Amino acid sequence: MATFGIKPKVKTRRIECPYCEQSVEVGMRSMSIFCPHCRQRVILENIKIKTYHATRDFVTAGDVVVEKTGTLSAPTRVMSLTVKGKVWGNVAARRRVCVKRTGSIKGDVVTPSLIVDSGGELNGHCRIGVHDATISA
Amino acid sequence: MAENNSEFPTIIGSDACFKGELKFEKGVRLLGTFEGTIETKGQLHIANGANLKADVCAGEIQVEGNVKGNLNASGKVLLKASAKLDGDLRTSKLEVAEGAVFVGNCVVGPQNGTPAQSPALAASPPVGSSAPAPKKVPVGK
Repeated sequence: MATFGIKPKVKTRRIECPYCEQSVEVGMRSMSIFCPHCRQRVILENIKIKTYHATRDFVTAGDVVVEKTGTLSAPTRVMSLTVKGKVWGNVAARRRVCVKRTGSIKGDVVTPSLIVDSGGELNGHCRIGVHDATISA
Repeated sequence: MAENNSEFPTIIGSDACFKGELKFEKGVRLLGTFEGTIETKGQLHIANGANLKADVCAGEIQVEGNVKGNLNASGKVLLKASAKLDGDLRTSKLEVAEGAVFVGNCVVGPQNGTPAQSPALAASPPVGSSAPAPKKVPVGK
């Protein structure tokens, strides 16, 4: 029996726009959206960086992993960042920054939570766990 | 208990309040309040609930309390979950547990593994570091 006018329920999730920090409801499988508040294009994917990647601005509402062979050269604004390679630029994470044994960050870091494994390198100004810290890379 | 005592032979109690310059060889566990400067080649442990308002030059530093000042370590700096650090940090190895609060400049890397020295010495250029000027040998004529 055909059904008309009844749309199947789409599973959604809530994300925070990294530009305007407003809450937005998006589809579970969405990879990018235009934020209805600030009209910016927001990437939702989790990204793995395995090679050299340089850009003017690196912004995503997902999680980023910089692999051991990867280098990210850009001001970075992400949900969480795991560094096994190199990051050159200021980092702003809404959830966590994790610098592994082989990882290195050169730039300022703003995040609620920082985990630096023994052997990791960090060079810059840090604001960790400060609740009123403005997230801006 | 005996092992802790041998690792930290000096303990500043929770009801103690020190102000001045502290130098020691082995290890100190701070449970109370300290204000001034600390210089050592050994270990410094700032326990949970302790307050430190000082510039520190040490071998290894473990922070569980409140610290306001610059930390300079030749070895490892460990910030535990209850740590609150407001100041600059310079060390060769850093471990920050989840939940620690840290605001300040941070320089971490193997190149920072220099022997512990006083903050005054760290600010000034090292004595005798300039090599003698090479002799100018005339070329050609």
